[in-house]
Amino acid sequence: MSGRECDDALTNLYQYLDKEIEVTSLEQIRVHLEDCSGCLRSFDFEARLKIVVRERLSEDVPAAFLERLREALAREAASSL
Amino acid sequence: MADQADFERDATQYTRQLYSAAMRMTRNPSDAEDLVQETFLKAYRAYHTFEEGTNLKAWLYRILTNTFINKYRKDTRRPSEVDLGTVEDLYLYRRIGSEESAEVARTTEDRVLDGLVESDIKKAVEDLPENFRLPVLLADLEGFSYKEIAEILEIPIGTVMSRLHRGRKAMQKSLWEFATKRGLVPQGAERP
Repeated sequence: MSGRECDDALTNLYQYLDKEIEVTSLEQIRVHLEDCSGCLRSFDFEARLKIVVRERLSEDVPAAFLERLREALAREAASSL
Repeated sequence: MADQADFERDATQYTRQLYSAAMRMTRNPSDAEDLVQETFLKAYRAYHTFEEGTNLKAWLYRILTNTFINKYRKDTRRPSEVDLGTVEDLYLYRRIGSEESAEVARTTEDRVLDGLVESDIKKAVEDLPENFRLPVLLADLEGFSYKEIAEILEIPIGTVMSRLHRGRKAMQKSLWEFATKRGLVPQGAERP
């Protein structure tokens, strides 16, 4: 990876993946990624990593806790009547 | 103004997400349960102040985050502003695979992305200092926008972006270490 366009793309990588980028920069990056397989590969890797992180951070809520939570809310509702 | 009677229906759909975030914040199930329960009770009591039609999920996360900060932050007076060392961009990507063959590199990428288990990812997030961990959780686990994160954490958007950026890079450094320990990457392979 080299060149000013690659540097610009890299600088905006997270904003691009987070969909937090202005339209003009978005277009510039899109055009660049069509031409530059190196940047495309790195962007693709970061995008895949982002999905992996999200999927593997999720927790199952213990059923016993859900029950306690329901009871706590019910108690709170009853006491505020 | 929202009706308290609707609270359970409206708010409890976010239980799993709030619990997942609470687990990474407190780092243990028992504190995470306390944190989520306290969040829901506070939210229930304040639900009449919630403006219907606005962002309920962000509102709940603001309560969760404030409760966490007030209850579990060791130094209660000041947020812990720990800095991270400098980590280069594309830390993980640059270390995977070799230049000679895109195919080999792609295979290694797949092996790393498939082989990093839940506990690796969770540990990498939990090891981040709090001021980086919260923006990373809110963006990468919850998908909040920078603006929403800025509002939830009450910090400027520019700060959100820089912490997110540096937090993610630091996470990649941990993930690289886990990938190496698990033997997912060939030794000495680094992209120029």
